[in-house]
Amino acid sequence: MNFNTLALDLQAIEEEFPESPLDYFKEKKLCLFRACLEKYFPGVRWGFQDLLEELQLEVTTCKNQSCCSGTFFQRNLITRAQFSAINERNLSEMNQQADIAFFSCNGCYNSLLRGRDFLKTPEVRIKTQEILNTIHKKVGVERYPGIYKILENPKIKLVHDLDFLYLIRNDVLNTLKFDLRDLKVAVHYGCHYLNLSRDKKTIESYLGSKTKLEELIELFGGIPVDYQERESCCGWGASQLLINPREALKITYTKLKSAENVGADFILMPCPTCLYTLSKPEYRDNIKNWFGEKLEIPTIHLNELIAILRGCEEERCISLTRKTPRLGEIFDIITQQ
Amino acid sequence: MDEHTDWNWELFDEIVEDVEENKNIIQCIACGKCVGDCPAAKVSNFNSRKIIKKVLRGDKSVLKDSDIWHCYLCERCKRVCPKENINIPLLIINLRNESFKRGFGPRYNDLRKYVEMSERFLTQGIILEEPLGEDLPQERIDELDTICDFARIKYVFKASNEKQKAKRKRN
Ligand code: SF4
Ligand code: SF4
Repeated sequence: MNFNTLALDLQAIEEEFPESPLDYFKEKKLCLFRACLEKYFPGVRWGFQDLLEELQLEVTTCKNQSCCSGTFFQRNLITRAQFSAINERNLSEMNQQADIAFFSCNGCYNSLLRGRDFLKTPEVRIKTQEILNTIHKKVGVERYPGIYKILENPKIKLVHDLDFLYLIRNDVLNTLKFDLRDLKVAVHYGCHYLNLSRDKKTIESYLGSKTKLEELIELFGGIPVDYQERESCCGWGASQLLINPREALKITYTKLKSAENVGADFILMPCPTCLYTLSKPEYRDNIKNWFGEKLEIPTIHLNELIAILRGCEEERCISLTRKTPRLGEIFDIITQQ
Repeated sequence: MDEHTDWNWELFDEIVEDVEENKNIIQCIACGKCVGDCPAAKVSNFNSRKIIKKVLRGDKSVLKDSDIWHCYLCERCKRVCPKENINIPLLIINLRNESFKRGFGPRYNDLRKYVEMSERFLTQGIILEEPLGEDLPQERIDELDTICDFARIKYVFKASNEKQKAKRKRN
């Protein structure tokens, strides 16, 4: 069985399509993995979906897909085999409908790769298959062949939105109506992008420095600014912010402050969970109450930023119900060109 | 100096029996790099090097200490550790599991933040409403419910229901 090759091989695409990597995705069926936190930031989904449609790509979502369940696994509320079974269910459904699945959330991307990773352990694999057999028994008929089997050599490939956007960056650039007008941007990759080994083929790509966000900012006419806490956690920490809020928020506070200190106009990131943590008004208020500082630096997901730069309506890019400090200001600076 | 002179394999064996990959912690050279870069260590007494040492010494107090519950599962330590295959977040999840099994894990009250999420997952298949209203069909939700049979997620869900019932009765 093939447990290693779920992550889309970006290097191979670059080699095969050096002029236009976008060509690889044409004629392919694409599916957006629905991340729970897109509820608060629908622009993360819409921004990406609108872009793909403008690029004439065929894109859907999978209505049978559930939450990745990483939250429950990380808090020991489900076992590895249960986590892998939930994962296999999602993979089967997407495998049935698409060739490539896109991830807007570091957590979901990590979960899907991790669930598959666990199947390399024979005991987990056996237990996972037993769980799937139980469902099969209860349901009776298979809606399609193999739905209740661990996937052997699935055709579906997984890719993080950031990696895809970087790969086709020149095509993205061609769709933009505005540029970043020399705004200073601090980047936050998020732990499960920065420290992830599961999708890497070489040790260099795992341990080497990650600069895709900075390169995109430059390409879009902004100035990436370095800051001390660039690589630090957002503070979410697999729900530490819920369990030990004061400790966790100290991490959030230190990160935001470090970016403010270097004069960044906003923080850009590729994950809605980090975005939630770094922008939630209640957390900003607690930072003020607990650490005595009011921090107002805006925070934006890469997919939202691309939507703003492409000239989407404000409500569709950044959802006006979202009360992130000074976000409207950034929107105005970019769009009133 | 060898940090791990007084070995006792009992706890180690249990942990490895459950998750084989955890045998790699034997390679730990106690360099402390994982602690230097660890977010949890910056804000609490959490110390991954000491936790490994305790496991290798068979010191079961590690399962009672609240320390193991402070890890952010951020995988930073995996990236900075000079040994290739030590997976501290996986070890931590494994230790938390052992702790739960022996009744030292977080009590219902500490898990109450998960009640709503668990309920949504078991009844809707998601933990936050879908922004575009594409809900999961009921048959698929039933599948998830079957997968989660006997899992703690159901205990949390059940405990919350019972607590609510008791509250209603009192009122
Ligand atoms: S995974 Fe846990 S031990 Fe490792 S660096 Fe993160 S918080 Fe520290
Ligand atoms: S970085 Fe690795 S070798 Fe060093 S103390 Fe931590 S686990 Fe042990």
